[in-house]
Amino acid sequence: MRNFGMKRALLGAAIAALAMNASAAHAASATGTATAKILRQITLTKTSDLQYATIISGATASTVAVSTAGAASCGAGLTCTGTTTAGSYDVQGTNGAVVLVGGDSSVTLNGSLGGTMSSTLTYSSANITLGATGGSFQVGGTLSVGANQAAGDYSGTFNVTANYQ
Amino acid sequence: MLRFLKAFGLFTAAALGAAASPALAAGDLLVAPTRVILDGSRGTEVVLNNIGSEPATYRISLEIKRMTAEGGLDEIAEENVTAAERTALDMIAFSPRRVTLPPNQPQVVRVGVRLPEGTPPGEYRAHMLFRAVPDAAPATAEPKPASEGVSIALTPIYGITIPVIVRVGDLGAEASIGAAWVTETQDGPAFNFDLSRTGDRSVYGDIEVTRPGVAEPLLVARGIAVYPEVGARKVSLRVPGELAAKLKGPVRIRYSEDREIGGGTIDEAERVVQ
Repeated sequence: MRNFGMKRALLGAAIAALAMNASAAHAASATGTATAKILRQITLTKTSDLQYATIISGATASTVAVSTAGAASCGAGLTCTGTTTAGSYDVQGTNGAVVLVGGDSSVTLNGSLGGTMSSTLTYSSANITLGATGGSFQVGGTLSVGANQAAGDYSGTFNVTANYQ
Repeated sequence: MLRFLKAFGLFTAAALGAAASPALAAGDLLVAPTRVILDGSRGTEVVLNNIGSEPATYRISLEIKRMTAEGGLDEIAEENVTAAERTALDMIAFSPRRVTLPPNQPQVVRVGVRLPEGTPPGEYRAHMLFRAVPDAAPATAEPKPASEGVSIALTPIYGITIPVIVRVGDLGAEASIGAAWVTETQDGPAFNFDLSRTGDRSVYGDIEVTRPGVAEPLLVARGIAVYPEVGARKVSLRVPGELAAKLKGPVRIRYSEDREIGGGTIDEAERVVQ
């Protein structure tokens, strides 16, 4: 809190009010100063990544699935090592608010040594109703691994959004 | 005056500290408010805050989403938008469009409307998307030898959207509650009901489900909209199993306007939940 200008200080106050709003959902606390407007807020934080860990491909095409609960199933002919996790996101906001969640239904991964793979993506829910402690949703997927898929580090990006109506 | 500022400073520090939850990643974000309605004459401000532990660059953009009969929002590619949706994209002005924020640094995004002369009355809507631009993939320590198989790195680009609604002219709408039922979905039980809408604008409000004679509501769901592109939608809310069982039978469902604008009843109905 160095030498903030007045404007910055007021903005800070607005943010402060936002942060408080999460715990004090009954927003009737109009006892503050005339400048403290309490805005409704939403926060989105990533708590874990969707991870397929490491896979050694086989002679035939196969799949690796990670459920939205994080459980992995390694397809026939593949060797899977490491810990798999589902992607997980935490949403905070007004108690009782319904937030639509979702994102891309598939993603293409490019290999560092050439080659591509694709993964379908599934979401634990299309909407969540926030409780007093917020809510969360998970992302799982099914990765298609080709026969003798080229080894390497595969990477891809996909979009996930939390939408207020 | 000095004391006033100091008090704010302390308040801010405390609150920002409180906002930090344990698991933080680059790109985590806060947006407030969660819905913007403009009448064309005055603009507003939306606050974006970096609540992650690392500096992050955020991109702010507008996109068109259409409500589905199932109550979801479909993203519409820019080349497929209708003339009215194009008008909405063009009339909403905002700044900045890209900002890099250190942790716990809020940024005000100014939102305004430029109404072209002769814009037909109606409700125009776009969804403002705030999302972190991912860092270039960090140069991993050493590339894996080919014999180690296939390793996968999926980077989510995650963000928040809020509706920005511009109303031109004197608009009205009504909604009515249809049948209500409980279903078993693959992710658990859900409470469902139909919500239909007439008029030339969206309806928005809170749902409260009560059992006649019991004061405490069984279920409260806030922020349910029916947008003008649909005449009716299904509202499907996941509920715990015990609540699903309790919801069956006679209930009163009330759809009321946002508490911020008085909370008046939009529609109220007695239903027997199947």
